[in-house]
Amino acid sequence: MSRLLREERLGRTALLTQNLAPGKRVYNEDLVRRGGAEYRTWDPFRSKLAAAIIKGLPDTVVAEGTKVLYLGASTGTTVSHVSDLVGPGGMVIGVEFSPRVAREFVERVARERKNVIPYVADARDPSKYSVARVDLVYCDIAQPDQTEIAIANCTAMLKPGGTLLLVVKARSIDVLKDPEKVFKDEKGKLEGRGFEVLKVFELSPFEKDHALIHALAPR
Amino acid sequence: MSGAETPETQDIEALRQRSIAAAEDAIRLASSRPDLHLVQAIQALDDTDKFLNITATRASEWYGLHFPELSQMVQDNVALCKIIFEIGGRGSYSPEALSGRGFTEKKVAAMMEARDRSKGGEISEGDLAKVKSLGALAVQLSALRGVLNDYVESQMKKTAPNVAEVAGATIGARLMAKAGGLDRLAILPASTIQILGAEKALFRSLRTGARPPKHGILFQHQAVHTAPKWQRGKIARTLANKIAIAARVDYYRGSEDATIKAGLDRRLEGIRERYKEPPQRKPERRDRPRRDGRPPRREKFRRR
Repeated sequence: MSRLLREERLGRTALLTQNLAPGKRVYNEDLVRRGGAEYRTWDPFRSKLAAAIIKGLPDTVVAEGTKVLYLGASTGTTVSHVSDLVGPGGMVIGVEFSPRVAREFVERVARERKNVIPYVADARDPSKYSVARVDLVYCDIAQPDQTEIAIANCTAMLKPGGTLLLVVKARSIDVLKDPEKVFKDEKGKLEGRGFEVLKVFELSPFEKDHALIHALAPR
Repeated sequence: MSGAETPETQDIEALRQRSIAAAEDAIRLASSRPDLHLVQAIQALDDTDKFLNITATRASEWYGLHFPELSQMVQDNVALCKIIFEIGGRGSYSPEALSGRGFTEKKVAAMMEARDRSKGGEISEGDLAKVKSLGALAVQLSALRGVLNDYVESQMKKTAPNVAEVAGATIGARLMAKAGGLDRLAILPASTIQILGAEKALFRSLRTGARPPKHGILFQHQAVHTAPKWQRGKIARTLANKIAIAARVDYYRGSEDATIKAGLDRRLEGIRERYKEPPQRKPERRDRPRRDGRPPRREKFRRR
């Protein structure tokens, strides 16, 4: 059985991920049993990755066994689902700058899950946590220069041809510019650095003025 | 692939344990910073203020059914709550019970007379008990407010003496809270410090082209709000400049520097001197398109 399930409920798609730490909740999400295994509900209104998957990001992007660098781990809600998806053979290196939210991330996620390695560090300085080559970089940080930061991390840690998932918060980059224009500009920045942009997923109605860019690093 | 114990998975587990320990150290270190406690304290102070107001107003409203004349005579809400809590129903009033509260003899006599002629209704024991509890809570909150205020004053002098000197302890602490700590305040440009707390007006200004705000939290500073309207922007700007310098000295050097406050006073004196008279009004230009051809400003955002 897959580590990611979709179910139709009242005309809406609900996502479930197989719990890597059975019996444990991270943020009061529902635990349900399916086919003899425990799954956690994954709310697209709380997780931009879940929103992107519902909007069409292929499930295979975050496959079992993937090694992930996760920038902007926050309190770890999405990290916990990525940890579920990559499973015991995968790895998630979670980086968070703010000690306040990292507290919950370390306590509820990193301590409970053997495939999560936490760092309280600044994503502008990848040398602080550059411990492995990864297959995927997921970047969700609210900084005006977030795309440049993501590229620097890909250069430092992403294997050639690896995947970048970049969450673009239009309002953090420029409050006045039209979000569509921001998405286009950030896409252009990636292409200028040799990335192949596969698709830009606009995240409404789950998030306003947000998009997730799915790109491949240069080979 | 599974979680089998191979040398590689053992290495990863060792790395993970080290990372968790290092992350927890970083979190612990960050949580012991005195400026973060100060940020919590000033926010607790502002919360307490609101709560105190609500509670005291409710107590005096409720008690007003029983003795409406008293709230007219005692302006200070906390003093009123103290009377409600300590004396209780109209029947318990006496000149002795009212003594020692800073009222003149004449006032006490007037209160006794008001009591005798009160238009208030009867109140049951049960209702009175609840009003008294509310009054007691207000008195307690007022005491807590004092404690927090003293703490903010003394901690600011220790943690950010120059900001405390230039901005005042409470305003300095509020700026720190907005910025997210002394370290963040120390790297903010003065122009940002000037309008911290006026984000709504700032973004409105960016969106619509209305005039930008002159001051945010800094409006609370007496040099700004007591100044005539046309000087306030200049004063807020100067004040923000000096606070930016003060925050940097506090964070990076950590010693008192009396020249900052002296420089501020000199600059403020200069502004007051130079802009004594209100500026000449520009000729009315409403209802006329602006120079760049856009339609006239909406009434609400127009220059006054």
